[in-house]
Amino acid sequence: MVLLAFASVEGGQGQGMQLFWLSVGFGLVTASVLAISAVGLSLQFGITNYINFAYGDFMALGAYFSYALNNELLHLDIWVATVIGSLGMGALAVLLNHFVLAPFARRFHKTFYVLIVTFGLSLVLLNLEYSIWGADVRFFNMSLDRAHHFGPVLLTTSQIIVMGIAVVTMLAVHTLLKVTRLGKSMRAMSDNTSLAMTSGIDTKRITTITWFISGSLAGLSGSVLGITEGNLTPAAGELFLFVIFASVIVGGVGSIYGAMAGALLIGLATEVSAAYINPAYKLDIAFVILIVTLLVRPSGLFARPGRA
Amino acid sequence: MPALSAEAVTAGYGRSPIINEISLTAELGTITTIIGPNGAGKSTFVKSLIGILRPMSGKVKVNDVDITKVPGHRIAGHGLVYVPQNDNVFKRLTVRENLEVGGFASRSDPTARMGEVLSIFTDLAKAVDKKAGFLSGGQQNLLAIARALMVDPTVILLDEPTAGLSPAYTDVVWAQIERISNLNTAAVVVEQNVERALGHSDFVHIFVAGRNHVHGTAAEIAALDLPSIFLGRS
Repeated sequence: MVLLAFASVEGGQGQGMQLFWLSVGFGLVTASVLAISAVGLSLQFGITNYINFAYGDFMALGAYFSYALNNELLHLDIWVATVIGSLGMGALAVLLNHFVLAPFARRFHKTFYVLIVTFGLSLVLLNLEYSIWGADVRFFNMSLDRAHHFGPVLLTTSQIIVMGIAVVTMLAVHTLLKVTRLGKSMRAMSDNTSLAMTSGIDTKRITTITWFISGSLAGLSGSVLGITEGNLTPAAGELFLFVIFASVIVGGVGSIYGAMAGALLIGLATEVSAAYINPAYKLDIAFVILIVTLLVRPSGLFARPGRA
Repeated sequence: MPALSAEAVTAGYGRSPIINEISLTAELGTITTIIGPNGAGKSTFVKSLIGILRPMSGKVKVNDVDITKVPGHRIAGHGLVYVPQNDNVFKRLTVRENLEVGGFASRSDPTARMGEVLSIFTDLAKAVDKKAGFLSGGQQNLLAIARALMVDPTVILLDEPTAGLSPAYTDVVWAQIERISNLNTAAVVVEQNVERALGHSDFVHIFVAGRNHVHGTAAEIAALDLPSIFLGRS
């Protein structure tokens, strides 16, 4: 990409625009992965009120589940494997909450302690992945990708599918939250847990369901991250977690739509900038946007209304 | 059979009780107020009825059904609802969504009920699609009461529903509470304003230092030397 960037400068205006549109395509793909993961992280944060630092490992573990189904066990089609692997990660998230996180959350009212527990969980899961799959780079078993032109934008079949999955996921989450009784209960609980309980909402059940959704979205985003990157490693999720944090905070902590907007902004900015400066600075670009947002609009782009 | 009966309820935080063996009954169609100096345990008592705090001993019955050990989220379904003093609406939900959530515990048709509730709270009917966080403090308190009414409750517990409101809004809120009790509901109100409490209620309890110091009809309580009770001279 660096060479390409220099080449474009040499090549003049036409090639420069081509490079720009190419990077916009990459940006949309990254934004898709980010949006799925950021929404999953935000949903869980809204309900339990502590950050899950093991989320990156949830992503990687979900991707390895998909990998195992795709490459090791049943040799399923990659997309089928992704769906099953993601749901498997959702189920595991429910168990981890029930046996590890919830007991700590009950015991310590300060969420800070639970946050430390999620750090520990992150280390345990990361090493579990290393012990099962090793540190080697793994590859999904996928049919060869074809490139498609959309005007100046160039995308592969799998990239288009990933963007489609992201759009469907966002619409599904939107419908869940705005239309269904479950989603309204989740929003009510995220707003005021004690009031939700006295209004008749089974907060324990909502918490369990939220962990399932959050874990599934982590698994889904981890799998599609692996698919778009072309490979997976145990640490891939953890590295990506910082970009997710940037998206969530830029969008406004706790706002699901903010997380979506933040993902789009950060995804596009990191990839487009990578076309012009060293791609090694991708993460730095994400944090520059984060810092600028916090300076200009400290509560994020989509701050919660009605909060003092 | 009283709508609500609390029998010798002892409750608190951790191991130390804040309220000791408080008993209170409330009948349908009446307003019972709880008054007393700060720190007397009025809010703690109400929280121990609704499942936020669990009584260490004693019993809570609604319509003669023992709800002392019923999970917190099921209590509303038994007809006992609660309007907290602060943070009493879902700020990021619209007025309509607040009412919908309030109706989740109801067994009857929530749409019909919402129409009934909005016909009582006409101001809210004009703002159904507004986020609750954007309502004024007084309107938020009215919405909180409306939300609690969505289950057509037997007993409604209100913790200082007029705290911090202008005198005009205080009148509005009290008028609504009287209207609710006339709809065959028992209203139990924690009130810091003694005059208001005596003026609006049928029965009054005075809590002092975590105990039910005295109770009676509003007229009986009005005849007592209240300053002495509040200042601890009795």
